[in-house]
Amino acid sequence: MEQLLNGVALGALLMVLSSGLAMIYGLRGVANFAHGALYMLGAYLAYTVTERIGFGLALLVVPIALALVGVVLELVFFRPLQHRSHIELGLVTFGLAMMGERLVTLIWGEGTLRVLPPEFLQGTTSILGSDYPTYRLAIIVIALVMAAVLVLLLRFTTIGLHIRSASQDIETAAIMGIDANRVSLIVVSVGSALAGLAGTLAAPYISLNPGMGDVFLITSLIVVVVGGVGSIAGAMVAGMGVGIIQTIGAVYLPSFAVLLPYVLLVVVLLWRPQGLAGRKV
Amino acid sequence: MKTKIAIAMAVLLSLFVSACGSATSGSKSGGGSGETIKIAVVSPTSGSLAKTGTDAANAWKTAARLYNEKGGVLGRKIELIQKDTDGDPSTTLQGVREAVTKGGAKFVGGVMTSPENAAVSAQAKGLGVVAMNAIGKDDVLRGKQCSPNQINVVQSNSMSFKAIEQALKDMPGQKWAIQAVDFSTGHSASEKFTEAIKASGKEVVLQQYAPQGTTDFGPYITNIKNSGADAMLAVVYGSDREVLVQQMQQFNLGSQVKTVVGSDTFVESLFPVMGDGIIGYYNNVGYDVNADNAMNKEFVQAFIADHGNQPEFIPADNYLAAQLLFGAIEKAGSTDTDKVLAALKGMKMDTIDGEVSIRPEDNQVLRNMYVGRVVKKNDKLAYEIISTTGPEVSTPQANPDCVMS
Amino acid sequence: MTLYSTPDTDAVVAAENRPKALHRNRKGRGIGLAIGAGLLLIGLVVPYVVNDNFTMSLLVTSSLMSLMALGIGFLARYLGLFSLGHGAFYGCAAYAVAIATTNWGWGPLPAVIFGTVFGALVALIIGVLVVRASGFGFLMLTLALSQALYQMSNQTVMRPLTGAHDGKLITYTGNATFFGLSMSDMMDPGLFWPVAWVALVVTGVILWLFGRSRFGTTLEGIRENEERMRFSGFNTFRPRLAAFVLTGAAASLGGALFALNVGYISPDILSFGKAGDSLVAALIGGLGTLVGPVLGTFLFVYAQANFNFGGNIHLLTGVLLIVVLVFAPGGITGALTKPYRYWRAKLTQRGKGAEK
Repeated sequence: MEQLLNGVALGALLMVLSSGLAMIYGLRGVANFAHGALYMLGAYLAYTVTERIGFGLALLVVPIALALVGVVLELVFFRPLQHRSHIELGLVTFGLAMMGERLVTLIWGEGTLRVLPPEFLQGTTSILGSDYPTYRLAIIVIALVMAAVLVLLLRFTTIGLHIRSASQDIETAAIMGIDANRVSLIVVSVGSALAGLAGTLAAPYISLNPGMGDVFLITSLIVVVVGGVGSIAGAMVAGMGVGIIQTIGAVYLPSFAVLLPYVLLVVVLLWRPQGLAGRKV
Repeated sequence: MKTKIAIAMAVLLSLFVSACGSATSGSKSGGGSGETIKIAVVSPTSGSLAKTGTDAANAWKTAARLYNEKGGVLGRKIELIQKDTDGDPSTTLQGVREAVTKGGAKFVGGVMTSPENAAVSAQAKGLGVVAMNAIGKDDVLRGKQCSPNQINVVQSNSMSFKAIEQALKDMPGQKWAIQAVDFSTGHSASEKFTEAIKASGKEVVLQQYAPQGTTDFGPYITNIKNSGADAMLAVVYGSDREVLVQQMQQFNLGSQVKTVVGSDTFVESLFPVMGDGIIGYYNNVGYDVNADNAMNKEFVQAFIADHGNQPEFIPADNYLAAQLLFGAIEKAGSTDTDKVLAALKGMKMDTIDGEVSIRPEDNQVLRNMYVGRVVKKNDKLAYEIISTTGPEVSTPQANPDCVMS
Repeated sequence: MTLYSTPDTDAVVAAENRPKALHRNRKGRGIGLAIGAGLLLIGLVVPYVVNDNFTMSLLVTSSLMSLMALGIGFLARYLGLFSLGHGAFYGCAAYAVAIATTNWGWGPLPAVIFGTVFGALVALIIGVLVVRASGFGFLMLTLALSQALYQMSNQTVMRPLTGAHDGKLITYTGNATFFGLSMSDMMDPGLFWPVAWVALVVTGVILWLFGRSRFGTTLEGIRENEERMRFSGFNTFRPRLAAFVLTGAAASLGGALFALNVGYISPDILSFGKAGDSLVAALIGGLGTLVGPVLGTFLFVYAQANFNFGGNIHLLTGVLLIVVLVFAPGGITGALTKPYRYWRAKLTQRGKGAEK
């Protein structure tokens, strides 16, 4: 049971990270390789904010700061390059990732840093007869709330409708009178903010070190492809699924667990190329 | 458009010019008795190993300063040729080659990880250098991958394990859990510790392995909790160590597991990150900073003066490497690689770590290994040495796989 | 936008840079072969001119890595596919050589042949899975599969073969030689240079000839419009797979020779970073021409050895990659050949004007 909670906690983190990636992928058609660097930047910013003021504020400030980074990304790279091929834009984000990770290391140093969650989240809480870390429960709750809010926004607001139609087909949506630029700006900044949120949540969970971006980037890229291109709900479900499978796998099939995400990706792409929840070609 | 092209051409041209320039300047250096003694210090200054790499280079700097102030070695000054690496074997080899062929270095120090040391070991003879391995602990470097041109200054993994085994029987705890890295080092350590624990009449309730780079130890910690263990042994490396400590605290594992022993896990450089939660934990210690001998006091003082912090085992082992190398050069009366190597073989010498000797069969420096307990002293975490294991116990004989050719 | 859509037209392989099927005549082939032979001879003199072991070792490493970049460039040019998987073939071939010599006691020459064949075989297996994809799907699949191989090579069960995270030291039984080079000669960059250079030039010429052949034309057709080719009765799967395996074999040859030269395989040879570096170097050099990726690789290796202060190489290449993609999608060679193409276009125009 506790093991299942472990899986859900990791899955929650992947869910937040992948939903941001999936939003950008859906709209711009680009798997944003810089997403790992954004996540890492979020975690390090969370460290600084927590040191100065407190973790509670970091949860609020860091996503906003990352949203601003997202605005810059959209205005400087995504928008001017939107008529280039997707693969080129993807490779640009690859270059951004290379730079970003190095810059973060130059600013915060090479050493490992750690962030403590606020006092009331540090202990353990008794749940279903076992003591479980309170902070992990908090991650699960925050991630689920975020997911619910995101789904509701997409479903029931006008801008949500616009985002959904633009992810289906950005050109048609533009013809129908949707301001594609505005939608895209919102999507990229919200996607980046989600990466910042994932980084902040991860900071007290794992320690901060210069390699932290790579580990989750590849996993969440896989999650997005498995979940289905352009499907945010698909990415969320796949993120949770991969988190649980990887955790349970690590307990029962230790050597095989590392390979699981890759096997999953290949199987899904061969059997259902559009992803589990993706739309038909 | 045309200016763009002009700039591109200029950049390319300057690249080629600088390439040719460095190529011609490099070929001049040769040998000569009045010259400095050149030592290549090849350690990483980026990536997760940057801090350790800087520490290693700092020790060589302090050694060079102290010896040069006393008139040098054989009356010649020590000169360090520092090369940067990424901590991966190919850039390290490149750095070594560059320092040797272009800078004229004959001695190599500061090389970091075991794979890097193995790569240097493979090429040391061909390059005609003496390599001082003061950081790579892997037993392979004293076995199949040993080289007549490489001296292993640092204690091997199996020497560390043996020291911990010796200390285990006096530690509290009846039911032990072993958390090890999923590499052969982790597996073999786990087997040895299991034997040692059983021999002292205690019980091993769990053995588990996590791959290197694990970011979530939650499942493993849950297993330890469910196993009912009251003591734990951790053989975990790299940044996994901080992750493990942090998550052990989040899971409040300390309320159940009273004794925690690490093998290169709770190391001094990580004390600030790990925090007060590790007070009372045990770990192997390669070097005792409080060792009561004149040379050690001189070294500790000089290192603090040069770099502002107290040396731990990485700088100390590199300084020890410098001491041995300079001693051998004096003894040989020459910087000729073969003569220095001959002097190093079987050499006995008084050092910062007391009297040590070099075993000719595997070029292992025979020295003590300690086990320490983390305590808080003057508001800072530090080791308190609780046991000392001599080389006659920790490494009674050389590995027969080592063939010096 | 979907993973299996037809490839986007890429400015990276600028339209004017694309090989033109029409201008393939015998004379062109003769000139090309002559240039190849000339390059081969000029290259062989290099050790006498450079006379510096360090620079030579950089040149050898560059040549071997260029074999991988040549493959990446060929795929990009003729099929519009960007691969993060060629590092895997390079690495697998290197491991195969190490295993053949160290574990089975083979000589270096059979080991290199085995390594190249093995790498090509891995390319065949991976190719069957990935060549149907295009664009991002292809990039992701090659990334994921090579990551899977990387993880596999580091597993404990693979220890006797690959040495897992310790890497693998190559040893030979007896006095093994490779084209007259002894064990220590192979590690001497000056002596190993001819092997590396010949391999690079010959592979380059072979790929160039393939590109000019009917096979190349078919590939271009597939790149431009796969559906049309399918409807015209072409099997589009097999040429794609063949191109993938061919370029995989080129990378494998590089990896196999690399193993002999360094005598030690580090576990990160299969990592994401290495494959990414190679793709980026090829892009910066320029995918529009045959020599672009080679030039990029040489520059990358040189920069890595000289400007890598504190790991800044990635900051530099990151900036350079973005600059190239945004401002000069043809890479360095693309930018350099631009005035030439401009000038030639003008001349032909003027010639036409004079006829009138």
